[in-house]
Amino acid sequence: MLVSQKPLLSVRNLKTYFPQDEGTVKAVDGASFDLYQGRTLGIVGESGCGKSITARSILRIIDRPGRIVEGEILFRRRKTLDGVGTDEVIDLTKLDPNGQDMRAIRGAEIALVFQEPMSSFSPVHTIGEQIIEAIRLHQHMSRRQARQKAIEMLRLVGIPLPEQRVDQLSNQLSGGLRQRAMIAMALSCHPTLLIADEPTTALDVTTQAQILDLMRQLQREYGMAIMLITHDLGVIAEMTDTVVVMYLGRVVEQASVDEIFYNPKHPYTQALLRSIPRIHSNSRERLASISGAVPHPYNRPSGCPFHPRCVAFMPGLCDQKEPQLQAMGEQHLVSCFLY
Amino acid sequence: MSVFICGRRQHFVRVNIAGMNSSDGQPLLQVRDLQKLFPIRKGFWRRTVGYVRAVDGVSFDIYEGETLGLVGESGCGKTTTARCILRAIEPTRGQILFRTESSESADMLQLSPSELRGLRREMQMIFQDPFTSLNPRMTLLDIVGEPLLVHGMKNRREREARVAELLRLVGLRSEYMRRFPHAFSGGERQRIGIARALALHPRLVIADEPVSALDVSVQAQILNLLYDLQAALRLTYLFVAHDLSVVKHISNRVAVMYVGRMAELATTDDLFTSPKHPYTAALLSAVPEPDPRLRSQRIVLQGEVANPAAPPSGCYFHPRCAHAVEICRTETPSWQEVAPGHLVSCHRAHELQLSGVEQLNSTIINEARRDLPVPDTFGA
Repeated sequence: MLVSQKPLLSVRNLKTYFPQDEGTVKAVDGASFDLYQGRTLGIVGESGCGKSITARSILRIIDRPGRIVEGEILFRRRKTLDGVGTDEVIDLTKLDPNGQDMRAIRGAEIALVFQEPMSSFSPVHTIGEQIIEAIRLHQHMSRRQARQKAIEMLRLVGIPLPEQRVDQLSNQLSGGLRQRAMIAMALSCHPTLLIADEPTTALDVTTQAQILDLMRQLQREYGMAIMLITHDLGVIAEMTDTVVVMYLGRVVEQASVDEIFYNPKHPYTQALLRSIPRIHSNSRERLASISGAVPHPYNRPSGCPFHPRCVAFMPGLCDQKEPQLQAMGEQHLVSCFLY
Repeated sequence: MSVFICGRRQHFVRVNIAGMNSSDGQPLLQVRDLQKLFPIRKGFWRRTVGYVRAVDGVSFDIYEGETLGLVGESGCGKTTTARCILRAIEPTRGQILFRTESSESADMLQLSPSELRGLRREMQMIFQDPFTSLNPRMTLLDIVGEPLLVHGMKNRREREARVAELLRLVGLRSEYMRRFPHAFSGGERQRIGIARALALHPRLVIADEPVSALDVSVQAQILNLLYDLQAALRLTYLFVAHDLSVVKHISNRVAVMYVGRMAELATTDDLFTSPKHPYTAALLSAVPEPDPRLRSQRIVLQGEVANPAAPPSGCYFHPRCAHAVEICRTETPSWQEVAPGHLVSCHRAHELQLSGVEQLNSTIINEARRDLPVPDTFGA
């Protein structure tokens, strides 16, 4: 990783809470990480770990009653209006979610690819209309130009016969094509950061391979940063440069992809890696599993959130105090009392 | 009642062990040329204008005590096949021969409703989604006890005792019996579904994507549970899944389907190390391996899965196949045995040299991970 390069996006101690009648759900509870241009950051974790809420916090599209209670999301913007590329850093948490600045960033500079290509397109507008709307919202173009641009984007993401597809409704497209169209829409304004929230979870393996290939190829061409959110460690290993492992709203470990897979420090990361079935391992083998299940967010364990399931649980310490992220060698952060 | 059931079980185990020792023993289930066409109706008169060929001439055997994995992409007909076996949907044609305990072979499709109900005790299903497959208004006692009630265990106390036994069997506490499904996590709910499936001492359990809706850490627990139950109760599984790594972990043999037809069937190791069908090879290489040092050169298939309502001519896979030749476009490949127990439907199965998953890598991974904690300590 180029340490000298300034991060494109820097999330600092982000806390997003959902106050409810039954108690506060701490969906994200102190997440910190950096994203660099042209790099892919993976966020991995099980359901309820706060990975999607982190993405939504960055885009400021959290559903009520959730809100960011603490932390900073520093986004580096390019200002090329005067011809010279000067950078400005703005804190997205300070912006009004519905204000002009945030709306100018959302979709144009930070784009999101949703998990479910089935439900994230409007069923009553054609694919083209939706992409044209996105383009014209952020760029000064006539309808005709925007339509040309939409067709061009659809062709770029490998949709056959884009001139015909542009006038089709989303239900006329297969899952793979819909996800391609989604990516086309996300990239139509050339974002500097693409957030992909489980982009291939709803797809078959062969289609997944196509989409991952496409994302890599587009990243090479446009040099955008990708934040890839997934629960699939295979996709993480295949795609990312840096990995953030989350558990119950907290970052438990952060390191380069090689470190995470070959030198994992946190007991949760280690257990997770052991529990996944691998296609290269022997058939008919018992898997090492993690005992218990992810706790319900209302019954969040005290201290380290992983301690009830942890093999290295130290009574009196892990259930009392919350571990903090600390450096373990270069670019490797762990939040565990073992170290 | 429970004594009777226990007795039945022991008798059954004896038969089973005898069956297991001779590998050429009779299969428990034989599926022959199974076909299911769903009519496409159009217009005011709802005239049939065509058929979706969901399952189109599928044949395979399941031997007693084994796990047969059935894999394929969405829409390939694997769930339809599973449901046809139970006659949850009525197949268009074909034979489903089930060997009853008295070693008679019964054709599921010829049975009368009452005979069928009797046989259904012996084959049960575990469903994919533990959130929708359990009635939210029924307690665990009602859910797991319902099959017992339907099949004649009228005494409530007996039923409670059996439900408690089943819940313990799948790793749940029997005190939970009076709770409702919403009080349980996804993994626990799937355990409830398994308990329900096992209530009647089935011999064949059809598991339709039993772990695909679960978290990674819980998925391993359920796979291990299925594994242990199979060993303890001598169960036979038909394991339907799309995740090849999961299938590899649980299956003795694996069948691959593509657009309603069988592409390949072999023992798990044969299929994964030396696939004979180009589709199997492509599927295997598409699985992202959780290892950043093995970022592989994948075979990325072009195009889309064929439409089962209007499949291409010849071999259904030919438009996406890198090895297709003229004959693939015109003639349907036959379902042929290329090696003992290795069946393929590909014209070029004998000549193609396809690469599978290298077993070698597993040792590399194990070497690299040697200094990690011992896996046993993570036991559920």
